Formats: sequence, C-alpha cells, structure tokens
Amino acid sequence: MTIFKLPDLGEGLPDAEVREWLVKAGDEVTIDQPLVAMETAKAVVEVPSPQSGKIKKCYGEPGDIIDVDTPLVEFESDEKAEPKADTGTVVGKIETSDVILQESATGVTTAKTQTKISATPAVRALAKKLNIDLTQLSGTGPNGHITIDDVTNAQSTTTSASNMQTLHSTRRAMSVAMSKAHKEVALVTLFDEADIGHWKDDEDISVRLLQAFIPACQQEPNLNAYFDGDNIAAETFDTINLGVAVDTKKGLFVPVIKDISNKTAEQLRAELNQFKQKAKDNAFTPDDLHNPTITLSNFGSLAGRFATPMVVPPQVAIAGVGKIYDAIVAHQGQPAVHKVIPISLSFDHRAVTGGEASRFLHAFIENLSC
Amino acid sequence: MPVITLIEAVNQALAYEMQQDKNVVCLGEDIAKNGGVFRATVGLLDKFGPERVIDTPLAEAMIAGVSIGMATQGLKPVAEFQFMGFIYPGLDQIICHATRIRNRTRGRLSCPIVYRAPFGGGIHAPEHHSESTEALFAHMPGLRVVIPSSPARAYGLLLASIRNPDPVMFLEPKRIYRKVKQDVADDGKALPLDKCFVLREGGDITLVSWGASLSETLTVAEELAKENIQAEVIDVATIKPLDSETILNSVAKTGRCIIIHEACRTGGVGAEIAAILAEKGLMSLLAPVLRVTGYDTIMPYHKQEKLFMPSVERIMKSVKEALAY
Repeated sequence: MTIFKLPDLGEGLPDAEVREWLVKAGDEVTIDQPLVAMETAKAVVEVPSPQSGKIKKCYGEPGDIIDVDTPLVEFESDEKAEPKADTGTVVGKIETSDVILQESATGVTTAKTQTKISATPAVRALAKKLNIDLTQLSGTGPNGHITIDDVTNAQSTTTSASNMQTLHSTRRAMSVAMSKAHKEVALVTLFDEADIGHWKDDEDISVRLLQAFIPACQQEPNLNAYFDGDNIAAETFDTINLGVAVDTKKGLFVPVIKDISNKTAEQLRAELNQFKQKAKDNAFTPDDLHNPTITLSNFGSLAGRFATPMVVPPQVAIAGVGKIYDAIVAHQGQPAVHKVIPISLSFDHRAVTGGEASRFLHAFIENLSC
Repeated sequence: MPVITLIEAVNQALAYEMQQDKNVVCLGEDIAKNGGVFRATVGLLDKFGPERVIDTPLAEAMIAGVSIGMATQGLKPVAEFQFMGFIYPGLDQIICHATRIRNRTRGRLSCPIVYRAPFGGGIHAPEHHSESTEALFAHMPGLRVVIPSSPARAYGLLLASIRNPDPVMFLEPKRIYRKVKQDVADDGKALPLDKCFVLREGGDITLVSWGASLSETLTVAEELAKENIQAEVIDVATIKPLDSETILNSVAKTGRCIIIHEACRTGGVGAEIAAILAEKGLMSLLAPVLRVTGYDTIMPYHKQEKLFMPSVERIMKSVKEALAY
C-alpha cells in the first residue's frame, strides 16, 4: 500500500483543514484527479492525486486539521512505494527524468559563409518570375547588391525585339553545365575502333559497351575518379557508377547505373530498359541522375563516327561511341568486311595522362574485341 | 564530476561564488531555512550563516530595493523572486533605480545585483506562476537579461552574472529545472555573457530560441535531420544585450530563420530579432522570418498549457512554411 502525505500547499503553511472529500475508500482514481478540498490560511485548494489507483483509506473528516507531511490518503497497490525525494513546493509539477545531457556548455563552432547572391527577397522573387539567373548578374546597388533595375534590364537584353526564347529546365541546365565544363576542363580525345566482326547477330551491343568499362577501369582507376580543380585534388573510386547519356525530347539526361561491376548482363539490360521507359515518360528522379563516376555516350545511332565528347566535372573521362559501320579491315593478312565500333575517349588532361587514357582505351577495346 | 540538474547547477554556482567572494549574499522568500521552494538555495544557510543567506518578508519591492542598497555599499546580492510573476511590485525599484544608479551617479555607484527568478509555464501551476515577460526587462536600458537552457550553462552564466558589475535579471526556465542532468564541473569557470551558443550546426534553416523552448526546438531539428534537412539551432542565452552577429552569420548561411519563444507574440523578443534580420540580414533572406510563440493571453490552466506553448508540431509547420520558399 502507498501512503500519500499532505504536501506543502504553497507559501510554507504547516497544516490545512479538510473541507470536503471528493473521493472515498474503494474509489478508483486517476492521476491528477482531485481527491479532497483543503482549506489553508489563504485559500481552498484541491489536492490532486499523485497516482492512479484504488483508495484504501481517507484520513480525517471535514473540519479536521491535517499537518503537512502526515498521511492524507492511502492507496491500494502492489508496487512498493518509493519515498519521494524532497523536491520542495508543490506549486505546479516539475517534470523529472534520468536523461543525462551530453552536450557542450558552449555549443559547437560553425563555419561562416559569405552570402552567395546579394539581393533582397523582392528582387529574387522578380528574377524568379522573369526566369532570370541571378548568378549571371552583377549588382549595381550598394555593396554590390543586385537591384530591381538590374533584373529588369537583364530581362530586356535577353528577350528583346528578336525571337530569342529563354531556355528552361533541361536545355538550360545543359547550357550552364557545358559552359562550365568548357571553361574548366583540359579536353583531350583519343580516337580508335573496335573490330566486332566475330560478334553474334544477337549480341547485346549496349550491355557489351557497359561491361567493357569494368576491365578498363580496373586497368586505369584514375579515369574512374573525381577531380577538384579549385583545390587540385583527386579521388579515385573502386565502385563504377556509370552515367549513360540518353537523348530525350526534353533534352539530354544522364541516368546512372550504380556499381556495374557487380551486376549481371541481365541486370544491366533491365536497367537500360528502365531508363528507356523513364526517358519516354519523362520520369527520371534526382536519384537516377546522381553522381556518375564516368560516362558512356552512345551518340552514333544514326550518324557520326568520331567526336570530342565533353567531360563534365568533377568526372575526368567519358567514352563516346559512334555509328557501327561495315569497314574494310585487314584480317589475317587479307582484306575483309567487319563491323567496327568507332570509339572516342575524352579525358581531362588536368587529372589523367595520355598513357593512362591509352591503356584504358586498350583494355576497353580488348574487352569488346573478344 | 557531478551529474546534476539545472536547479542543482544554480545551487552549485551560488555555493561556489559565496565561498570565493565574501561579499556575495543571498536574499529572498523561503530561501534560507526552507532552502527555496525549488531548493535552489538548499544548504547555503548552514554553510554561510544567516548574515549572508537571508529570509525576507513577503515583500518584493523590499527585496528589489534592499538589494540596491546592499549593492551600492559593496555587497553583491543575489536576490530571489520566488516566481517571475511576483517581480512586478519590485519593478519601480529595479527600473527606476537599480538600472540607473551607475548613470545617475556618473559611475560613482553601481549595482552588481543578480535578480533570480524561476520563469515560464508548463508546470500545471495556478495564475501568476507561469510568466514569461523577459521582453519587459529586455526593454530597460541598464539591465542585462540572461536565460540558461542547460545545467552547464546555468552554472557558467550564473557565475558570470554574479561577477558582472551591473544588474542582471537571471531567469531560470523552471519547466526544465529537473528535466535532464549534466556533468557540470564545480570549477568556478564562467561562461561568456552577451553571446549566443550554437547548439547544433546546419545549413538549411536557422532555429533561434532560449530557455525551455529549446527542448522542443532541438527535437524538431532531430526530426528534420531524418528528412535530410539540417537545422542550425541557436541558444540566445543573453537576451539583452543580444549577440546579433551569431544570428546574422547563421542566416547568411541558411537564408531562413524561425524564432521560437514561449512568451506572448506581441512585443516579444522575437520581434526584436526579426527586425534586426530585416535591417541587417535582408540580403541573405530566402523566406520571411517566422515566429512561433505563445499567444497574446496569459498561460492557460493545466491541460491547455500545451496548446499555448510552442509545440514540436507548430514549430515544424513554420519550418516547412519557410522551406517552401
């Protein structure tokens, strides 16, 4: 059984008189339910129940004076009552717990950053409405802020009397990305061809192209890497997340097949088919397009043999594959007509050497030629 | 190292400083024999005697005013108001005199007083016991307002407040008096006044709060992290003078700010912070500065308290609003 003693009802008064019992022995009560009205020297106070349970006994009749800290109500219970720690007044209820705070008194330090674009919210809203890229503007306001005039002027120059249509969405993203890539990358392209005369008629060309990356990246991991031009740093990857350039009505997308080394030919074909469907349905998600480590651009479905495909930072290499054609090749000393795949391997010469690219290309072609 | 609650940290700081500095005295209702209604001053009477730990009559104007007399004559009083709601009879003494004596005497006299009071609601208490009117005090020139949010900060900031040569309103968020424990070394090290503490770093949105509301604010930050949204959480700690630099730097990074306080909306300290952001941080803002606050009424009773105080849900709703911009 648990005995609830009369708590200090506030202001440090030593006792209180029972005015009226709100419960009786045998009643089931819930926590906080008023048990009894007690009159102190100052006011009539209702004492709430400290727990849920069944009342066993009420101490005192109306008119009796009960001292603070002497029994008031007895509860029936099978739990042992723990003597309550002295917490002071019971004006109100202070929550307690055993949680220990793990945290530094002075908090954490944070990195400071400069504001990237300096413009008021109204100016930003106008720029958004007019489809103007604030990063391309320089501000004429105080401290170089971009003003509302800067934005309206930019609008009139981009869409003036001519039929110039501002580019949006994918085409715009491509413009911005290629502009940046062109500015930063030291582009070199190696051209070669793979003789696939011995391939069966039903060979899955796309899957073979994907698979050729595996031995090539193993041979030269420096082409499956990221390069940071600002800090002149590079990171090579064991996993090959292969970007596959896909041409759609909406524009150029590069969805990524993750970890091609650990996928079977069937899985690769399935993912390529998924991409084809998503391209048709315009349903690529940001996760589909996330962080390729190296890219394949199979651009030659209709025409075009060789090209200088763009390397988009932070990647350092891209293999472009042109239109497969019937070539006259030397085969065992005699002219023969074999199907041939033209390959253009572009790389960023800030991060990759000609030798590395050459060995990569060699392994790539070897794999296709078998 | 002792693992203690916020109220125990207050007690630890008082004991430390009274030991170091014989001029520190404590006064207030029920603080000596009773040890304080929340046990903030338990044990001090035995350690330091009745001349330094004083039970006052039930007279707040007297508590405020006697402290001024003590302070101008060389003592360092730490005066307790039993609840923030009881300070108001003492306002005349505090505002018209304690905060102005240095100015009035051109520096000849000053008031190194700490006025301590439990503040804030959420403890199922009757009227007058749940006040959050820190904005009133922040408005008064010459008065510093400090609000700790953890046991360690209660210890360090109270020491700093006692050592400060000018009046400090030290408001203790009573809802979290015993909510958590923390390892707080009794080493007498003060924490800096007039500085915000960044409790969590993040780049997506800045959440500014103080006192007990930080509890809900940090919960919101954890929930956001599950959605890959990183919130930066700032504990203002010293409400006045405000460390606007820390807040401005944070919003320069995130572009979005939500201010959370339990006190009523109109004229609350959140308005001051929002004005500073509009004035000095406008170029960084990507969304309006939003405030999640108590409503313009007194704390309701008991079961409706949760509706009044900024809840995790209300804070999250404002966060999502700001992120939509």
